[in-house]
Formats: sequence, C-alpha cells, structure tokens
Amino acid sequence: MTRVIGSRLLSTVLVLFGVSLIVFLLLQMVPGDPAVTILGTGATAETVAALRTELGLDRALPVQFFEYLGGLLQGDLGRSLTVNAPVTDIMVPRFANTLILTGAALVLCIVIAVPLGVIAAHKQYSIFDRASMVISLAGASVPVYWFGLLLIGVFSISLGWLPTSGMYNPRFPGGFGDLLAHLILPAIAAALVPLAVIARMTRSVMVDILAQDYIRTLRASGLSTTSVLWRHGLRNALPPIVNIIGLQVGYLLGGVVFVEVVFGWPGLGQQLYTSITQRDIPVVQAGVLFIALAFVIINLFADTAVGLLDPRSRRATHS
Amino acid sequence: MPRRLKSLFTASVAALLAIVVMSGCSRGPVQTGNTFVVAIESEADILDPQVAGGWVSWRINRQIFEPLVDQDLTIPSDEATIPPLKPGLAESWDVSADGLDYMFHIRQGVEFHDGTPLNAEAVEYNIRRMWDKDSPMYSARAAGQTSFVWKFVESVRTVDEYTVNVRLTQPFSEFLRMLTQGGNGSTAIMSPTALETYGDDVADHPVGTGPFKFKERIRGERIDLVRNDDYWGKVPYINGVVFRPLPDPSARTAALRSGDVDMIAVPNPDSIDNLVSEGYQLSEGIPPHIWYLSFNMEDQYTSIPEVREAINLAIDREGMARDLLRGSVTPAYGVQAMSAGGYVERRDAYERNLDKARQLLASVDLPNGFPTTLITSTDGSGQIMPAQMAEFIQQNLAEIGIDVNIQTQEWISYLGVWARGMQPGVGMAQMSWGMTSPYWLYIATSSELQAPNGPNVGYYSNPVLDEAMDNAITALDQAEADRWWRQANNIVSDDDALAPIVNDKAPYMLAPYVSGFVSASEEWYDLTEVRLEQ
Repeated sequence: MTRVIGSRLLSTVLVLFGVSLIVFLLLQMVPGDPAVTILGTGATAETVAALRTELGLDRALPVQFFEYLGGLLQGDLGRSLTVNAPVTDIMVPRFANTLILTGAALVLCIVIAVPLGVIAAHKQYSIFDRASMVISLAGASVPVYWFGLLLIGVFSISLGWLPTSGMYNPRFPGGFGDLLAHLILPAIAAALVPLAVIARMTRSVMVDILAQDYIRTLRASGLSTTSVLWRHGLRNALPPIVNIIGLQVGYLLGGVVFVEVVFGWPGLGQQLYTSITQRDIPVVQAGVLFIALAFVIINLFADTAVGLLDPRSRRATHS
Repeated sequence: MPRRLKSLFTASVAALLAIVVMSGCSRGPVQTGNTFVVAIESEADILDPQVAGGWVSWRINRQIFEPLVDQDLTIPSDEATIPPLKPGLAESWDVSADGLDYMFHIRQGVEFHDGTPLNAEAVEYNIRRMWDKDSPMYSARAAGQTSFVWKFVESVRTVDEYTVNVRLTQPFSEFLRMLTQGGNGSTAIMSPTALETYGDDVADHPVGTGPFKFKERIRGERIDLVRNDDYWGKVPYINGVVFRPLPDPSARTAALRSGDVDMIAVPNPDSIDNLVSEGYQLSEGIPPHIWYLSFNMEDQYTSIPEVREAINLAIDREGMARDLLRGSVTPAYGVQAMSAGGYVERRDAYERNLDKARQLLASVDLPNGFPTTLITSTDGSGQIMPAQMAEFIQQNLAEIGIDVNIQTQEWISYLGVWARGMQPGVGMAQMSWGMTSPYWLYIATSSELQAPNGPNVGYYSNPVLDEAMDNAITALDQAEADRWWRQANNIVSDDDALAPIVNDKAPYMLAPYVSGFVSASEEWYDLTEVRLEQ
C-alpha cells in the first residue's frame, strides 16, 4: 500500500510539472498581450513597451518559465499580471470556495445517488426503477446552465426561499447559516450530472452482484432483504462505485465553472475564466495546478479507499 | 421511455415552469439595511484608480477617490448634454494668460480616509507617480494609463501648503476635462501614506478622499464601501454600497427580481420591457459612447474616398437601433457622441441613402461592389452585441454589392489585433469608445498616433485635420477651441475616415424603491443622492 502511494505521489509531481509546462506554452501561443490588455484602447507603442519591461514579458520564454518554476518550488506562485497581487492571495480563497461547493455537491451525489441506485437495482424494472433511471437520464442530459436558472426561478424568485447568487448576503453577511442558504441551489445544480452518472453506475453494478450465487445463498439462508442489500450487496459493489465517484470529482471540478458563473459563486472557475480572457498567465497556471492537484489527490484517496475496501486489490498490488 | 412515464415527466416539468411563471408577489418589502447593492457586469480591475483600466473599475474607484477637477454627475443627460466641470479636490484654479501655468488651489481641511491631510505635497506626490520617470514613486502602469493627460507637462511644483503649480510645454485646452476622465486610467488622488506603506499592494488598501470608504473586497463576490461621514462635500444618504460582479445577464435579472440587489448594469435588451411592466425603473443617459468602424486607408478599396462615403450611406443605423438593439442605443450622426465637446450632427453623411451610395460606387468603376473584411470582437466591455451588429452591417453593404467577410475574435485577442493596426486585406475595424472631451478625436485620428504607435488603426492622415486639432488643443479661449474641434469633426466626416454607427444609452434597471439615481452624460455615476425608501 505504502509503495503504491509513494509511486503515485512521485507521478503527481511529474504530472504537475507537465501541466505547468503545457499551460505556459499554450498561453504563449494564444494571441493577445497582457500589456495591451492592461492599457486598453488608449495604448501607444511606447507605453506598451514600458509596461512589458515592467512585467518581465520582454525576457526570453525559457527564462520566464524557469523563473516561474523556481518560485513554485519555494511555494511562490508569482504575481498576477493584471490584478497586481500575489497569485496565492487571489487563488487560495477561490480554491477554498470551489472546494466548499464541490464538497457539498459530492455529499449530495453520494447520499442520493448510491441509495437510489441500490433500490433501483433491487426493484429492477419496477416503476421506481424506471422513474429513477429516467430522471437520472434527464439529469445527465439537462444543460447545467439552464437547470441553474430554473432552480433560481422557482426557489429564489417565485418562492423566495433561497438567495439567487453569491456566497453571503450582500447586505447582512451572516455566518454558517447564510453560507448554507447560498450553497443549496448551486450544489444541487453542480451535483445533477455526476449524481445521475453515479446512480446509473451503482444500479448496474448492483444488478450484476444481486444476480450472483452468494446473494441467492444469503437469501436462502433467511437473511433480511436489508442486510442482503446493504451489508453484503453494496459492500461488494463499493470498489467500482468509489472509483467512479473519484473520477466524477474531476468532472465536478470542471462542471462547477458554469455553476459558478450562473450563481455568481466566487470560485476558481470564475477566476480562471476571467484570467484566461486577460492572458494572466501566472493566475491561469495556478488555477490549472490546483485543479490537477485536487484531481490527483482525490483519486489517490479513492484508490486507497478501494484498497481498504477490497482485500483482493491489495493482494494484486503486492504481487 | 414508456408513455406513462413520459407524460409524468412532461407534467412535472410543466408544473415546475408554471411555478416559475407565477411570480411570487407575496413576499414582503426588501430589507435593504440602507445599503445599496449593485450587480455589475464583470469583476472589477484593481482598486488603484491610476492603474486600473475600464469603465467598470472607475465606477467603483470614483466613489472612493476624487480627481482635482470633477464633472457634475447629479444632472441628468437631458438637462446637461455635456456634464459641467466642477471643483474636485482643487477648490479653484488659475490658468496663466499664455495657457501654460495651472495653479491648483487645493481644498483645505480635507483628510484622506486614513487621516492623512490632503495638501499640495500629497497632490504633487500623486502627479509624480503618474508622470515623473525619475521620481521614486513613479509607476510605469499609472503612467501608461494616464499618458494622454500628462502629455504636455513640463514640471510640477508645490508652491505652498495648498497650491500646486503644473507647468505645461504648450497650451492644452482640454487639460481640465481630461483630469476628470477615468475610462483608461484616471488621475484621482490617492493617500500618499497608503502608497508608501503598501507599495505594490496598495490596491488592496485603497485610501482616498471620496464620499465612500473602502471596507472589504472578496474577489469575485463583493466590493464593500461604507459612507464617509467626514466627507467634505455632501454626505450620501445610503449607509454604504456593495458592488457584486454577476457576469451572466440572466443571473443579474434574477437577482434584481428576488430583491438580492437594488440595481443592475447592462440588462439584457429583451428583459427591459418585462421589468418595466413589473414596476422596475429604467434609467438611461447619453454617455459619450460611440460604436464605430475605422477604415483602412492603405487598402485598395477603402482608401478610395467615394467607397468610404458609399459605405457610410449604405448602413442602416436607424434599423439597427430599432430592430436589432430594441431602442437601447441611438443612431450615430456624428463622429463623436452628442455628449462630447465639439459634436457636429452630420445627417447628410450618415443617414441612409442607397441610391447615392450606388452612384458613388459606380463613379469609381465599382458598380458591382468588391470583397472586403470587417474585424470585430465576440464580446467585451461596451461592445454591445458586436457580432450581430457586424452581421447587420454585412447585410446593409450586400445591398450595394459589397461582400463583407466578418472576422471575430474574443475581446482580449481582438484588442491586441486591433491595436496593431489593420493588416492587408482588412478594410474596416470596429471599436466602441469615447470621452466627453473632444480630445478623444485627436487620440483616435491624429496622424501622430497611427497604429501601432497609437489607436489610429486605419493609418488615417490628413495634415489639415492635424492642424485644426493642433489649433484646438493650443487655443487659449474655450470658444475658439470649440470652433476648431467642430471643424475637426467636420473634416473627419468629410473624409469619411470613420463610420460612426450607434451611441449606447447605458441602461440600468433599478428596484421600484430606489430614488435619486441619475444617468448623467458619462460612462460612470454619482451615488451621493441615492435613497432607498419603501
């Protein structure tokens, strides 16, 4: 187990290096100059040149990249070109906000999707199974943007139960309760697609397992349905489900960009969008690094969890 | 999907939609806490007024910071086409007879929000930050943003505790008006103590003298300002103002309807009528905002004066304003907007006349038109709906045989491409911009500022125009300067160097209980008169 985790950590470092190099090169290829962006329509050749020198954009590309990398090793993500502030000051709070939203969405997914899939598998072809799968299918096909607006229309405007956007009340910023009220709708919107995928996946894994001999044996020996389903059935279905959940986190992190825009949630996606359009290279790099890091770490957790849940996979890795 | 389930699904979606349609009017009055919440169209740049670019940022910065000379924005557009100048941090000023020496008498007894006294030294410190390359406080960014204001400055000197002398190398008739501007960086005065203490991070600690003080900024979420009870001028009614970036227009409309915000910027043109019928207030003005095309003077077709005239006459400005943009803009009949000094209305040059346009093309042996390229962006600050508007122009020009190929790019890429100047094969380049100062015309059309040296992206050059603008700039008498600016406007129209298309009205939607918000003839606003009463 330790060896697996060790090699995964090593590959993480390599992945992060590769990601920063690719993002750096890609951003160099895109047309647009941060100095012109900052100065806007009134830019003259002279003022642009002076600003490029101040921002260090007139130095050779490898010099720029390795200087950035050197800073990174010391935990320094550089300074934003357009916002004139340290990248860590901008991105760390944003990343935390995105994690709050993603985390809430993930909890929703797991709490709803897994039981839904198990019950659907148990009552296969029943009205419940069909209805839940139709809803999952619809959930997976609905554009997040539209669904977000629908939620706002119903719960914020018509019913007035929940706020339309942001993280805290703009007039009377409150504590945890205020955050929770602002979190509900975006979390539901973000959870929709992964929830559907996880529910469908859980159902199909459970259908296979429930058809196996040992389940029939358990049933024949008089165990209650609850015990068969949740203790023995789900436990054996968990490894693939956990794997899927780990992968879904990646899609969640990507998908929350839209949710953050619709709900004005001050997260990483919103900042990334702004920074990409401004060619703010250090900020974009930090954002991509954070996402890559989160993806790798969560999947490392998922793999570890699978190892703990399933003795067979442990044995396989040692051989 | 079985039919039963399908109808179940359809029914539930219909039920949801029905709830949406039934707008919930049963909720009580909005609890505003006397804090004015504004949903803005994009995240603001930094809160360093001299460095920040763009109107979105200046609308916030100008509540915290003030320039030496200001414009009175409490008068609506229909009462003052051009906002009158008024004293800002300079209580008064004297200009020498030769137009070279400006003595600014700084307002006494004013303190920055951090308690630093405002005096001549503080003002000099700020001007050196924007202008003096050799001073320790110099900022290349601030200088880049404000270069057109300080272009003719020779020296800056503290005369006594409350007098600053700015000496120019030549008369500059628009100097005072340029001091009030903020779209491309402003000359607003910052606390020298804050600049010294925070250095590069000063934008996180904005300290000015304005009617509102900075409280907190959470990036992407909110910028909080509170009333400055010690303000030297009229203290605002509201306790504070919160600016919330909501880039999505539907999200802004939803936030207004739910009472989360009190005002939204840039409402979707399609939503305005509905909101008005629900009791929300529409506020519009005539800011100096011109959406225009520059012609490429080095292109084989658009270098021909008759071709440019024909294009100007073939564009249906009224149709675009009425049908495509639903009255949120007005057709442009001058190269500058009505709210810019020196405005000349030239319906003869810009009202649609297809017959004359065809004759003009025939007169230069192009009766069947020609192919050309128009470049524009897909989005961006002040660009309205650039791609659809370009397509509208494409259809107009097709009627006289001109085959327009439209090339669009996302805003920031486009800004870079635009600033380089039009490349071979490109006949027209679009931009939206403007100032209440006619000096804008110099920036956009002077032969000195041909791209890539400046924003004259069509390489337009007319020595007669340059001379007229030079006369306007160096005029010692305002009436004489205006006369020259009008002449310059006429020359640009006669040469058909630009094709002005529409002027934006900068609509805002306000909640029914908001009063005192004024749309003046500027791209930004004053909030001291705003009240929230229910």
